[in-house]
Amino acid sequence: MRLTALLAMAARVKLPPDYRHGVYRPWTAAAKANNPPGRRRKKVFVEPISKEDWKVFRGDTVEILIGKDAGKQGMVNQVIRARNWVFVEGLNTHYCYIGKTADYPGTYIAREAPLLLRQVALVDPTDRKPTEVEWRYTEEGERVRVSLRTGRIIPAPVHQRRDGIIPEQWKDGPKDTSVDDALDRTYQPSLKIFEEEILELQGIVETRRAKKSYWY
Amino acid sequence: MAATLCRRFFGALRVSGVLQASPAACFPRLTLNLLHKNTTKVEPIYQCKFLHTTLSRKGLEEFFDDPKNWGETVVKSGDEWHAKHLRNKSNEDLHKLWYVLLKEKNMLLTLEQEAKRQSLPMPSPERLEKVEKSMGRIDLVIKEREVALRLLQTGHENPRPGEWRNDFLGRTYWYNAKEWPIPWYLNKKYNRRKFFYSPRVKHFIRLRIEQHLKKQARMKSLEKKKQLLLQKKFPHLAAQSQN
Repeated sequence: MRLTALLAMAARVKLPPDYRHGVYRPWTAAAKANNPPGRRRKKVFVEPISKEDWKVFRGDTVEILIGKDAGKQGMVNQVIRARNWVFVEGLNTHYCYIGKTADYPGTYIAREAPLLLRQVALVDPTDRKPTEVEWRYTEEGERVRVSLRTGRIIPAPVHQRRDGIIPEQWKDGPKDTSVDDALDRTYQPSLKIFEEEILELQGIVETRRAKKSYWY
Repeated sequence: MAATLCRRFFGALRVSGVLQASPAACFPRLTLNLLHKNTTKVEPIYQCKFLHTTLSRKGLEEFFDDPKNWGETVVKSGDEWHAKHLRNKSNEDLHKLWYVLLKEKNMLLTLEQEAKRQSLPMPSPERLEKVEKSMGRIDLVIKEREVALRLLQTGHENPRPGEWRNDFLGRTYWYNAKEWPIPWYLNKKYNRRKFFYSPRVKHFIRLRIEQHLKKQARMKSLEKKKQLLLQKKFPHLAAQSQN
């Protein structure tokens, strides 16, 4: 038990309370190089926005209000909630060389800079203009984002699975359980414990009796 | 199907000139060819053609994937089992599914180790995560059922009896009972432990309570200071909190 707890602790990344989150995720090599264990940097104040209030998600179309690309619309690529950052695809970019070695100058690429949540606004799909958004409930009880100017619902972005599977286009492989088999209900509630039921099914008869033991 | 697989397996061994060596040594050519068209949502045994308990001599090929997947860098796998689907399954089905998933996990771990040995990336490592999560969920469902039965029959949730006790320093803690072969009045080791405190300890209990209250007050005032600082930096928060 103690060994598994130790291993679990090692697997989780323990961050100091004054950790400054950067563009890279804390477990990556770049983040570890930028934030070595002893380093303490000036505190960055992040506006506290609760999980329920968060309105912008990956895949949403937003318009940039402040900055170099003010007025342009783009799709959200990445969101870093720890700093209230939003990365818009192809916008608010700066150029740099990556993969530089002694003899190779490196590839010149455009890299997106993060934008604060206050600097972007969600776009209303009907008139394609930036709006203020609020969370409200529909008649069915679903929680949706509603644009305050027009009153239209802003649809949630399509959620892509991390393994890249699109459920509608999936075909079962040889090791897959078919949908009917997976949804088939075989459970019969009974007063038997799992172990008792399995012993019965396997035809194992336990004749041994446990010696008397004392719990204190 | 299994017999032909077996024959190929041992054929490969004969070709390499080794008959009964370990699996890793038997596959020198099949470098990262241990890839499978893997889908972790595995069928129950009675429907699966590959996994058969009475096949082959040693059954070692179950540690490896379908030979069709040997050499591929991406192997497709389906969704993992979710708790809400597992709760609809009988105990027998869960028992069988556990062993199917266990065999799959062993196969994936062999694959992972072989990939490490050859310094190559493991094909589709998310399969291992899916299998582990599914196994964890089966365990959860079985524990839930056990807890429900125990609540009905005894009224307790915890499998292990326990109670609140004081130690010799006056601290109150949850004592988990242990299983002993002899009763408590014969147990020398247990009788040496003190679950009571002398009257002199009362003073220190009061000091401890004071320490706790001071710590709480300190944390509260720290929170207030942080809020003020945030409101200075973000003035609209002050207006929001007033509303």
